[in-house]
Amino acid sequence: MNWLREDRASAMVLTLVLAPLLLVTLAGVLQLGALRVATARVRAAADLAALVAVNDQDDAELARSGVLRLSADAADVAREYFARELELSSSLLNGATAEIAAAADVAAYPVAPAYDTRTGARYERPTVRIAAQVPVRTPVLGALVLRPVTIVDVFAVSSPR
Amino acid sequence: MMRRTVTAILAMLAVWSSPALAWDPFREEGGYELPEPAPEPDPAPYIAPPPGIYYVTETYVADVVTSSGPLTTYSTSTVHESTGSYARALGTVGTGASSPFDGSAFNGRRALGDGRAVAGTYYESYVLTAGGFVPVSIVFFQDDAEIARVLAATPTPSPITPPWLPTSPAATSRPSPSTCCAPEPSGAPVARPTPSPIRPVRPGISLLPTGAPLASVEVLRARAVSLYPRAFVDEREIPVRSWSIVAGDAGEALVTADVGGAPFRTSWLRLAPPGSAYELLFRIEVDTPETGHRTVDAPIAVVVRSPALER
Repeated sequence: MNWLREDRASAMVLTLVLAPLLLVTLAGVLQLGALRVATARVRAAADLAALVAVNDQDDAELARSGVLRLSADAADVAREYFARELELSSSLLNGATAEIAAAADVAAYPVAPAYDTRTGARYERPTVRIAAQVPVRTPVLGALVLRPVTIVDVFAVSSPR
Repeated sequence: MMRRTVTAILAMLAVWSSPALAWDPFREEGGYELPEPAPEPDPAPYIAPPPGIYYVTETYVADVVTSSGPLTTYSTSTVHESTGSYARALGTVGTGASSPFDGSAFNGRRALGDGRAVAGTYYESYVLTAGGFVPVSIVFFQDDAEIARVLAATPTPSPITPPWLPTSPAATSRPSPSTCCAPEPSGAPVARPTPSPIRPVRPGISLLPTGAPLASVEVLRARAVSLYPRAFVDEREIPVRSWSIVAGDAGEALVTADVGGAPFRTSWLRLAPPGSAYELLFRIEVDTPETGHRTVDAPIAVVVRSPALER
């Protein structure tokens, strides 16, 4: 029975050596998955905010000229709804949603064609653009001697087509 | 040491587990208790109208001239409708008096039988924009009356009967001989009225009752829109008796024909093919002394757009 005991011992050693490695790998994979989910939700928040802002049109200009034109407060509307949408994912974020939205670069181009001052892109329609850096909590990555907060870059552009 | 490390890692995972790890994309369909939504603040702050400007609940439809025996009344028909616009009274002007706003009203200012301008009040319409109240047009609400004179030797043109006003069974711009109390002298030569030349009618479609006529209009998909068929003679608006849509995709409209003053209300749920538009053709019926009973067609191109994302 000695050989059996020796084999059990070697299995125990192997388990003790590999288990932490497997657990760390599992935790890292789960954290990366969570980061992907958080990224998707933050981008969806920016997309929805841009769509809502584009849906807010200048009715007086429409009655006068028959042409769709962004409302004068389109950028404010985009920023406000960006904060509202981020609120749904606030547990994933490292910071207040209002502060994140306030720091976002939101631009409205009510008259087309227009050129984006940030990217140089040409817009053929009245456009709302949101560019933001959203801090997402990644505690497991932080425990693994990586950054506990990961910055997610989001960029959303919307126009009526 | 290893056991302590494993325990620490497991505890760390349990404590720092994020709700996103168990995020359910279909949680809206039930199974979760959604937080009570907080009352949303109004994104557009309320802007109080300046003194003198009030919200319009009675919208101008047409100038009305009615006759009852020797009395001819000049009034204005309205419809109880709120178009979202505002108005301010510019001033009331008496019979024959001049006003600095003469010629600025889109519906003009009529004259009595003796040539004097009718009395009434000028109003200026406003729309509320982000920048404040913007004036869009001036309208004259006539309010006057005159007693007919016996004009046997100079009969007036044919009577006006505004059939678009159900409450006005008989209306004339001037008292006609048939309604006048003075009998026509028998045997005396009677000057027949010279028919006035038919004047061109310019149709138009606008988004507001007093807005500018448009040849094309962009609308957002599924957004309710009202189009007002209108008619003009020499830059002066005349009443529309009725209108109907004779061609084009009317969208989700419930009514495609109505009386003048009533808008065409619709929305479009589908976009037109890329690069094209819905071409609507309104048939507008007018019946005024200067135009006679006529129908004119007013086309308008409707471009339906939808907010979309770009990458």
